[in-house]
Amino acid sequence: MGMGGGKGGGGRTTMSEINVTPMVDVMLVLLIIFMVTAPLIQQGVKVNLPETKAAPVEATEKKVVLSIDAGKKVYIGDAEVALEELETKLAANAKAQADKEVYLHADRDVPYGVVVEVMAAAQRAGISNVGMITEPATGSKASNSGKAAPASSGKGKPKEAKR
Amino acid sequence: MKALLLSLLLVPALVLAQAPVIEISGANFRPLPLAAPAPVVQEGADRKSAQTFDSAFTYDLTASGIFQVLDRNSFTADAKEGMTAGSINFSRWADVGAESLVKVSLAQDGGALRGELRLFSVATGKEELKVAKDAPANEPRRLAHALADALYRHFTREPSPFLSRITYVRKAGSNRDVYVADWDGMGAQALTKGGTHILPTLSPSGQVAFTSYRKNRPDIYVQSPGGEAKALVTDGQMATGVAYSPDGKRIAYALAEGESAQIYVAAADGSGAKAVTDTPYGLNTSPTWSPDGKRIAFVSNRGGSPQVYVMNADGSGVKRLTFQGNYNQTPDWSPRGDLIAFTARDERNAFDLFTVNVDTGKVTRLTQDQGNNEEPTFSPNGRLIMFSTNRNGAAHLWVMTADGNNQVPLPMEKGSWLTPDWGTAPAAK
Repeated sequence: MGMGGGKGGGGRTTMSEINVTPMVDVMLVLLIIFMVTAPLIQQGVKVNLPETKAAPVEATEKKVVLSIDAGKKVYIGDAEVALEELETKLAANAKAQADKEVYLHADRDVPYGVVVEVMAAAQRAGISNVGMITEPATGSKASNSGKAAPASSGKGKPKEAKR
Repeated sequence: MKALLLSLLLVPALVLAQAPVIEISGANFRPLPLAAPAPVVQEGADRKSAQTFDSAFTYDLTASGIFQVLDRNSFTADAKEGMTAGSINFSRWADVGAESLVKVSLAQDGGALRGELRLFSVATGKEELKVAKDAPANEPRRLAHALADALYRHFTREPSPFLSRITYVRKAGSNRDVYVADWDGMGAQALTKGGTHILPTLSPSGQVAFTSYRKNRPDIYVQSPGGEAKALVTDGQMATGVAYSPDGKRIAYALAEGESAQIYVAAADGSGAKAVTDTPYGLNTSPTWSPDGKRIAFVSNRGGSPQVYVMNADGSGVKRLTFQGNYNQTPDWSPRGDLIAFTARDERNAFDLFTVNVDTGKVTRLTQDQGNNEEPTFSPNGRLIMFSTNRNGAAHLWVMTADGNNQVPLPMEKGSWLTPDWGTAPAAK
């Protein structure tokens, strides 16, 4: 259906048009800058994150965030999900399946076994990449109580570290 | 280069200015991720008709080819979430990958089933569309098609295929009977009962013309749903394969005499028939009209094997269109004018569907390695192609987008369904 681009032929005529190539380049660069700086609002449950010195990974788009709070409750975004249902929910999740990637946001007091169970459920659902969300080790940590409460307006955005 | 610059400047401006129009064709097409939770059933409306509504509505959206209807198993939203923007937790819909959210509530209002549809943009949380439609309480499918049509129009600025009608043949024992039905094959009504009736075609006014063997040889009859069959063409030895011009004023058909078959064009009532092909020994069959009514594509074996040809409606300017393969048949001209879909038999004796571009002759394959696929027919808006296939055993009707993607079966029960024909315009009900 003729999506063809420019016309061929007639190569001997004088170019009288303004050269717009540099302008297009500038526009493209601007576009990319806007894309990179587009606000990154990760929603989820507020948990007390472990601190690490791992280098943060810049996320360019929103991923599905799994959270485990101190009470070992599991959330997709801010919706609580029974651990038995997690695999089904993730296997059907178009976003998680398209990216093959989720972020895991687990409270530092959650036993390792629970984290592994959640990761295994994600893996069974076909998610090959689980990004661990941690807090950068700055030492200037606010004294968060160990309690987690579902909150969608988590201030102090966590940095993501993948491993 | 100028065009590129212009588009760079214009695209963001357009995005801000108005709701997006889904660009349905081209390499950049991506189905819109749409969450469509089960309808909310209000007082009076019964659960069974809500389920019927839901399956028809979901089918329309799924088969349209423009939406990626999200799996309800992934949903995390509160089951009691409301219908208004203020009561919806949009981040939960974003978490399951939805870009748009469509909510429907059903209520019974006297003898009418009333459906209210609201469409939300998940990113902005804004309500983008609100429509209400009524249908008789015992026709929830009709309500589903009407609401799905409103949604399709919102995104594409085009009429949907959901309100159109189709006709097809059901094979049962030695009988072949003609049916008319909604676009999804449901709500079928039999026009004939017993005997052999084949190759039905819908006229723009909703009549069905078909080839019938009631006199032990093929003749063409025409019938309105609920009416009596009337003879339309009974000349020659065999009259088959009738096609209505898009304005419904003329018919084209094939008439066999001796060892040849010619294409004839006549008024819609069969009068003034005139042969428009003249090949002493060749067979010319399966006419199909261009959307402007000026040209006819047909099958001819004048070159040795059946191939698709195009000519002016008066028979002049004949041009061969297909050159690949040695057995191409059953052409159907797209209402958009650019493509003709046809069936080709390959060297493995499998039938598959192709389109050929009328202007460039470029052939595109639509099906492969999925049993036999035959008898393509375009939707009135040219976006979808319905066809018969035996990929799951018995013959069944399927639908796909015009580029061969998103192939889904019609939700009809098991049976043997053949030779679909899609009406040229939405029937006025």
